[in-house]
Amino acid sequence: MAKTLFEKIWDAHKVDEIDGRSLIYIDRHMVHEVTSPQAFDGLRINKRKVRRPDLTFATMDHNVPTTNRSLPIVDQISATQIKTLEKNCQEFGIPLFGLDSPYQGIVHVIGPELGITLPGTTIVCGDSHTSTHGAFGAFALGIGTSDVEHVLATQCLVLDKPKTFEIKVNGKRKNTHAITAKDIILSIIKKIGTAGGNGTVLEYRGQAISDLSMDERMTMCNMSIEGGARAGLVAPDQKTFDYLKNRKYTPKNYDDLVENWKNTLKTDDGSKFDKSFTIDASQIIPQVSWGTNPAMTTDVTESVPEPAEFARGDSSQETAAKNALQYMDLKSGTPITDIKIDRVFIGSCTNARLQDLVEAASVIQGRKASPNVRVMVVPGSQQVKKKAEEMGLDKIFKDANFEWRESGCSMCLGMNPDILSRGERCASTSNRNFEGRQGAGGRTHLVSPIMAAAAAIAGHFVDVREWV
Amino acid sequence: MGKVIKYEKDNIDTDVILPGQYLKLHDYDEIAKHAMEGIDPNFHSKVQKGDFLVAGRNFGCGSSREHAPIALSQCGIKGVIAVTFARIFYRNAVDGGFLLPIEVDEDTYKKISDGDQIEVDITQNQIKNLTKNQTYTMKPFSEIVAKIIAAGGLFKYKPD
Repeated sequence: MAKTLFEKIWDAHKVDEIDGRSLIYIDRHMVHEVTSPQAFDGLRINKRKVRRPDLTFATMDHNVPTTNRSLPIVDQISATQIKTLEKNCQEFGIPLFGLDSPYQGIVHVIGPELGITLPGTTIVCGDSHTSTHGAFGAFALGIGTSDVEHVLATQCLVLDKPKTFEIKVNGKRKNTHAITAKDIILSIIKKIGTAGGNGTVLEYRGQAISDLSMDERMTMCNMSIEGGARAGLVAPDQKTFDYLKNRKYTPKNYDDLVENWKNTLKTDDGSKFDKSFTIDASQIIPQVSWGTNPAMTTDVTESVPEPAEFARGDSSQETAAKNALQYMDLKSGTPITDIKIDRVFIGSCTNARLQDLVEAASVIQGRKASPNVRVMVVPGSQQVKKKAEEMGLDKIFKDANFEWRESGCSMCLGMNPDILSRGERCASTSNRNFEGRQGAGGRTHLVSPIMAAAAAIAGHFVDVREWV
Repeated sequence: MGKVIKYEKDNIDTDVILPGQYLKLHDYDEIAKHAMEGIDPNFHSKVQKGDFLVAGRNFGCGSSREHAPIALSQCGIKGVIAVTFARIFYRNAVDGGFLLPIEVDEDTYKKISDGDQIEVDITQNQIKNLTKNQTYTMKPFSEIVAKIIAAGGLFKYKPD
């Protein structure tokens, strides 16, 4: 019987069925400092071990300052949480890429970078953006701390089988620099809504997806959760196999594995998806979010919408849009390119990989950040930082008065020292524009790295297609 | 019996339920003090043990932070009644044994008002509104979810 890629991975990992749910074997478990302490406490209380420390990998990213690493962490509660992860990894024998490691970084950046993420595998992490790893044809999903404890103890997870949702992105982008994977995924979420993918695994398919680099596919899969999906995935191809070759944890029999994957890890012709959505990449232009969830997004050439126009007859959506405009301090009818910004954040598990930084740097061309705008560039990992510095990107950023910082989650989530002040407006390459996400009272506009860099220079949003 | 604390909003996300800055906290009581701080800084002091939070569609969207259901539960919230839930929040609520994620239709959501006194009977899939003398039907839990809830969480649940 013809099967989708997701169904193949699911079937290959099903250990048992219990009361209508499946017990799924987990190949890789990524752990970070924020969602793991209570899980380790649970293991200790119940005198359990980590079943497969060799399949478990830890780093610290959410909480860490992105300033000079040789200085101590000022916030004592953060310092304790970081220290706790170190102690837990030591006690349970889990490899840790700590603050002094050349491999430290955002958990979803380092997994692929180290070859921990592999096609056809199941991957979990106590973080909703685990969907990122789906770019390699893995079934990767975010879980909470109780489930983290369950996976640490058993290497399995009890799951209801998600439905399948085909997202077909046909055609070609008209400008492969100005129009990015971020614009494609925001365009999709704008249409399907924040709960459109609820209970499903998205499979991104079509010409425009094949055309994307691995860094770009990770941006797409990363934001699957913003459309409500459990996971997102892209079938692996030669780009995937080339990317993972000779990484730190790439298996020794890699070439044999690739031969096998080429034959098996794809959606069979004639397979049926539970849902399907099609979008034409040639019609997509740069996107900017104006509201307080990622579906509240529009084309850069548009204006801030009227709540009623946005809601299309849904009274609850209309109220939500009104509240969003109030929170964002925006008026309907204001052209997006008239919105002035105070801050720019280029970083996060969505957009802090090498290609993101290359694209951001490409629009600088000797110009400087607008004097009214503070700009932070936060590479996703120490490896990304090193490679970017080898290319001289750090110099380009610094010459333009963009801050070049150490790797971590930084201003994506408002839990480390990198936060917005109340009322500040930020062009951000992160994934969530929720109220207070980047700091209480902060206002977030989601954009691609190249749009963020251009906005930093102009001091307001610009249609970057006019620049590149 | 518990009182209803209602927010007429869809997409109440985990950053509103427990803002990121409090994810550093380890102590449940400390976490609870900041529950719903994103939209209602006084939430913590309003809640009495056994109360219910009522909201619209896609409650708990966003992050996988289990701190979100922990914060609500530790305040005393017995259950969240919503039109739909984001899946990770739903799982966390059930697997950790923190609170009841109860789905109702739009009509029921509209009928329940802030301050109403209600009783929830999960064995009968019924919500009784004592203030308005009305009875509503909740969407039944799936078989395994009902068993995990009855056991008090995933770790206490033993398959038959």
